[in-house]
Amino acid sequence: MGIFGLAATLVVGAVVTGERVISRQDRTDRVTVIYWEKWTGSEGEEMRKVVNAFNESQDRIFVKYLSISGIDSKTRLAIAGGNPPDVAGIWGDQVVQFADANALTDLTELANNKGLDEDYYIPAYWDGYVYKDKVWALPSTPAAIALHARPDLLPPEVATPETFPKTFEALDALVEKISVQGPNGSLKLAGFLPSNPGWWNWAWGYYFGGQLITDDKVTIDTPENLRAFRWIAKYTKKFGSKEVQSFQGGFGNFASPQDPFMSGKVAAEQNGVWKANYINVYKPGLEWFAVPMPYPADRPDLKGRSNLSQDVLCIPRGAKHVKEAFEFLSFVQKQDVMEGLCSAHGKNSPLAKVSEKFFDTHPNKYIRLFDQLARSPGAFNIPKVGVFPQISNEMNVAFQEVNSEQKTPERALADAQQRAEIIWSTYRKQVLAQ
Amino acid sequence: MGKRKQIQTALTHVALILLSVVFALPLLWMLSTSLKPISETLTTPPKWIPTEVMWSNYPDAINYNSKQLGYIPFLVYMRNTVVVTILCIVGSVTSNALVAYSFSRLRWAGRDAFFGLTVATMMIPFPVLMVPTFTLFRYLGWVGSFKPLWVPAFFASAFSIFLLRQFFRTIPMELSEAAKLDGCSEFRIFTDVIVPLAKPALMVVALFTFMGSWNDFLGPLIYLVDQNTFTLALGLSAYQTQHGGTPWNLLMAATLLVILPILIVFFFAQKLFIQGIATSGFK
Amino acid sequence: MKKDLRIGLLFALPWILGFIIFLAYPVLASLYYSFTNFSILREPSYVGADNYAELASDTVFHKALINTLIYAVGAVPLSTVVAIGLAMLLNTKVKGMSYYRTIFFLPSLVPMVALGTLFLWIFNGDYGLLNEGIRAANLEPPNWLGDPAWSKSTLMLISMWGCGQAMVIYLAGLQNVPVSLYEAADLDGAKLGKKIWNVTLPMLSPVILFNVVMGIIGALQVFAVPYVMFPGGAPARSTYFIASYLFDNAFQYQRMGYASAVGWVMFIITLVLTLLALKISDRHVHYETE
Repeated sequence: MGIFGLAATLVVGAVVTGERVISRQDRTDRVTVIYWEKWTGSEGEEMRKVVNAFNESQDRIFVKYLSISGIDSKTRLAIAGGNPPDVAGIWGDQVVQFADANALTDLTELANNKGLDEDYYIPAYWDGYVYKDKVWALPSTPAAIALHARPDLLPPEVATPETFPKTFEALDALVEKISVQGPNGSLKLAGFLPSNPGWWNWAWGYYFGGQLITDDKVTIDTPENLRAFRWIAKYTKKFGSKEVQSFQGGFGNFASPQDPFMSGKVAAEQNGVWKANYINVYKPGLEWFAVPMPYPADRPDLKGRSNLSQDVLCIPRGAKHVKEAFEFLSFVQKQDVMEGLCSAHGKNSPLAKVSEKFFDTHPNKYIRLFDQLARSPGAFNIPKVGVFPQISNEMNVAFQEVNSEQKTPERALADAQQRAEIIWSTYRKQVLAQ
Repeated sequence: MGKRKQIQTALTHVALILLSVVFALPLLWMLSTSLKPISETLTTPPKWIPTEVMWSNYPDAINYNSKQLGYIPFLVYMRNTVVVTILCIVGSVTSNALVAYSFSRLRWAGRDAFFGLTVATMMIPFPVLMVPTFTLFRYLGWVGSFKPLWVPAFFASAFSIFLLRQFFRTIPMELSEAAKLDGCSEFRIFTDVIVPLAKPALMVVALFTFMGSWNDFLGPLIYLVDQNTFTLALGLSAYQTQHGGTPWNLLMAATLLVILPILIVFFFAQKLFIQGIATSGFK
Repeated sequence: MKKDLRIGLLFALPWILGFIIFLAYPVLASLYYSFTNFSILREPSYVGADNYAELASDTVFHKALINTLIYAVGAVPLSTVVAIGLAMLLNTKVKGMSYYRTIFFLPSLVPMVALGTLFLWIFNGDYGLLNEGIRAANLEPPNWLGDPAWSKSTLMLISMWGCGQAMVIYLAGLQNVPVSLYEAADLDGAKLGKKIWNVTLPMLSPVILFNVVMGIIGALQVFAVPYVMFPGGAPARSTYFIASYLFDNAFQYQRMGYASAVGWVMFIITLVLTLLALKISDRHVHYETE
C-alpha cells in the first residue's frame, strides 16, 4: 500500500498547492482593483511604476497589475464568465468590437464629471474612444506612424528631412535610383519596401485617398485602393516576389540588429513612433530622421496622413469596482502621469495640452513631428466597425497575395471586397440587430 | 555472403549516422544558440561555436526580473507544471488501470461493444470538443484555475484504456482464478495480482501522460489567465514580447531547460518504454 | 449475471463518467451550437442551418479545407515512410542502437511552442540554418516561410522530424515479426527488397494501419505549430487550416456557433477518411489472428 499512500499524498499536496496559486490575495484594508494588461518586459515595468505611484498616492484603493497574454480573448471570456477584471488594457482597434458585444461599461458620465472630454484630448485620438455617442475607453499609450529614413544611405541631395521626397512618385524615383540588387537578384539595398514591416496593410488605401468602409458600406474595391495596391505590385515587379517576401516572416527580426532598417537593407521604412526605442537599444548612434508619409502628387490634400493606433484602458461590463477602477483611469490621464508613461514607452501623448518637458526629454528626437502628425487633419484611425479584425485579415491576405504575385491587385481587392461584404452583412444581421 | 552482409552493415551505419545528424541538428543548434551572446544569434553565415560561452544565459533565463525580459517567473512556471503533471499522472494511471481491468479481466454484458465504441471515440477531433468543454468549465467557474487541466485525467482516456487492456489480456486468467479461490475480491485481485505484473505498461501510460501534460500548450492557452499560473509550455511564449524583441539565446536556454526533465526520464525509461509498447501487442 | 455487470460497470465508472461528461455531452452540445449563433457574451440563439449554408460558400473555409487535405496527403505518407525506414534501420541491431533511438525520438519530446520558434529560425529565408546549408551546396534556396508555395512543405518537413513516437511503435511491431519467416525467405533466396515487401510489410500491416489512421486524425487537426509559426495563416493563408479557422472563429471573432459547425464538418471528414482507410486496409492488411 506504500505506493497508494504516496500517490494520495502527492495528489493532496498538488491540489492544495494548485488552489493556493490560483486564489487571489484580497486586501481587507483597501478596495482591490484588478488590472489586466498586455505588456511584458520593459513596457510592463513602466506601467507597474504608474500603478505603484497610484497605490502610494492614496489609501482607499489598491490596484493589482497582472500581465495577461491574449488579453482580448481572455477578457471577453472573463466577462462572459461573470468575473472580469476591473480594468483591461486592450487595443484601441478593439473598442468597437467590444462595445458592440455589450462587453464594456459606459464611461461617458464618469469621464464628463472629471473633465475628460473632447477638449482634453487630441481629436483624432479622442475619436478612438467614442462610439455611438458614448465613451468606452481612455488612452494609456497612443502612437502615430511616419516614414523613417537613413541619410547615410541616401544621395546627399535628399538626405535631410526638408529635401527627402514628399510624394509617392518622388519616393519611387528615389528607390529606383538607389536600390542595389546582387547578381542573383538578392536585395542588397532596397530604397523602400511596402512589405516592411507589413503591419498596416489595411492602411495603404487611405494614403491614396481610399477608405475601407464608407457610410456603413464596404468600399475596398475602389479606384483609390486599387491605385494603392497597384503601387504595391510595382515593387514586387521591380524587385521580384521572392526578394520582397524575404523581408516578411521576420519574426523577431525587427528587434535585433538584423532589422532591415537598422542593418541597412532598406533606406526608408514606414514605422511607428516607438521605432526610436529599438534604434536606441540595438543600434545607438545610428543616423536617422523621420518625415510624414508620402502622398500622391496629384492629391496634395492627402499631405500629412498618418494612421494612428492606441493602447487603451477600459472597464469591462460586470466589473466589481467601477468607481474605483475609474479613479485609477483618471489618475493615468493626469498630464504628468500620462506624459511620463508615454515618454517611457517612446510614444505620443494623447492630450491636447503638452508640456515642453515632454518634448525635450522624450527618447524619440522626432517626437514633435509625430505629435504634429497626430494633430493633423490627415490623421486617421481604423474604420469603426466591429468586424475590423476580420477585415484587417482580409487586407493582409490581399496584400500578401499581391506581394507574392498570386493575384493581380484587381483580383485581390475584388475578392477582399466580396469576403468583407459577407462578413459585414452577417455581422450586422447577427450582432448589431440584437 | 559475408561481403554482402558487411556492405549492408556499413550502409546501415552510414544511413543511421546521416539521419542522426539530420534529427539532432536542430537540437544542437538550440544548444549552441543557448550559449551565445545575443549579438551572435542571428549572424549570417551562422556561427556554431560562440566566441564567448555564456553559461550565464541559463540563470538569466530563469531570473525573475531581468532588465530585458521583465517579469518571467520560470521557476513558478515549473512549479505549476509539476503540480498539474503529477495530478495528471496519478489520475491517469489510476483511472485507466481500473477501466482497462474492467474491459479485459471482467465479463459483463455489452463489454466488447462498449470497448469498440471507446476505440471509435479516438476519432473525434479535439476541436469539436473544444468549445462545449470550455463552456462547461466556465459554467463550473474553473476557467483560470488548474482544474480543467488535470480533472479530466481522472476519468480515463481511450488511448490508454486501449493500451492497458491489450496488456492486461496477456496475463493468464489462471492467476486471477487462483486468487479468487483464495477468497480475494475483484479489487484485491486488481491491486495484488494484476497491477504488480503490469508495471511496464503502467509506466508507459505514466510516461505518455507525463509528456502530454508537460508539453500541453492548447489547454493552458485556453484555460489559464494569470501569468503567475502559466505552465512551462505556455510560459515560453512570454519570452516573445509584443512589438518584438525576442532574446533568442535566452529562449533557447529556457526551452532546453523545459525539455530536460523529459529527456532524462526518457533516457532512463527507454527500455521499459519499448517493452511496454511491445508487449501490449498491437494485433 | 447481474453481479458481473455491476462489478464491470463499477470498475469502468471513471470512463463511463468521462465518456458522458467529456465526450458525449460536448459532441452533442457542439452539434446543438452549430445550429446557433453563439457569441459567448450572450445566450445562443437558434439560426437553423444558416451556419452550414454559410460554410458552403465560405471561401476562407474552402481554402482552409484544401490546405488541410494537402497537408495530410503530404505529411502522413512522408512521416510513415520515414518512421518505418528508421525503425527498420534500428532493427538491424547495430551498435549504439539505444543512442540512435534516443536521438530519433528526441524531437517528438519538444513542446510545440519551442518547436515552432526553433523552426521559424532554422527555416528563415535569409539567415536560417537550412538555407545556409543549401546555399553552401550552390543551390538556390526557397523562401520557406514567406513563399506561399513552400510554407506547407515546411510544415510537412517539421512533421516528419517529429515521427519519433510512430517509429517506436513500428520498432516494437518489427520485433514481433517471427524470425522463422525471414529464414524461410532466405531459403528461397530472397533479396532484401523482396524480404521487406513480402515479409516485413505484411507482418507490420496492422501497426501501419493503426499509425496511419492516427496520423490522418492528427494531420487533419494540425494547429499548434502553424499557430506559432504562421500567425493568421501567413503568407496569404497558405498555412491556414481547419483547426486554425475553428480557433479564430471561437476565440477571436466570437462566433462559437459557427466554429462548432466547422468542427462538425471536420468530424465528418475524419470519419469518412478513417472508414475509407479501414476499407482499403481490408484487402491489404494481414492479421495473424482473426
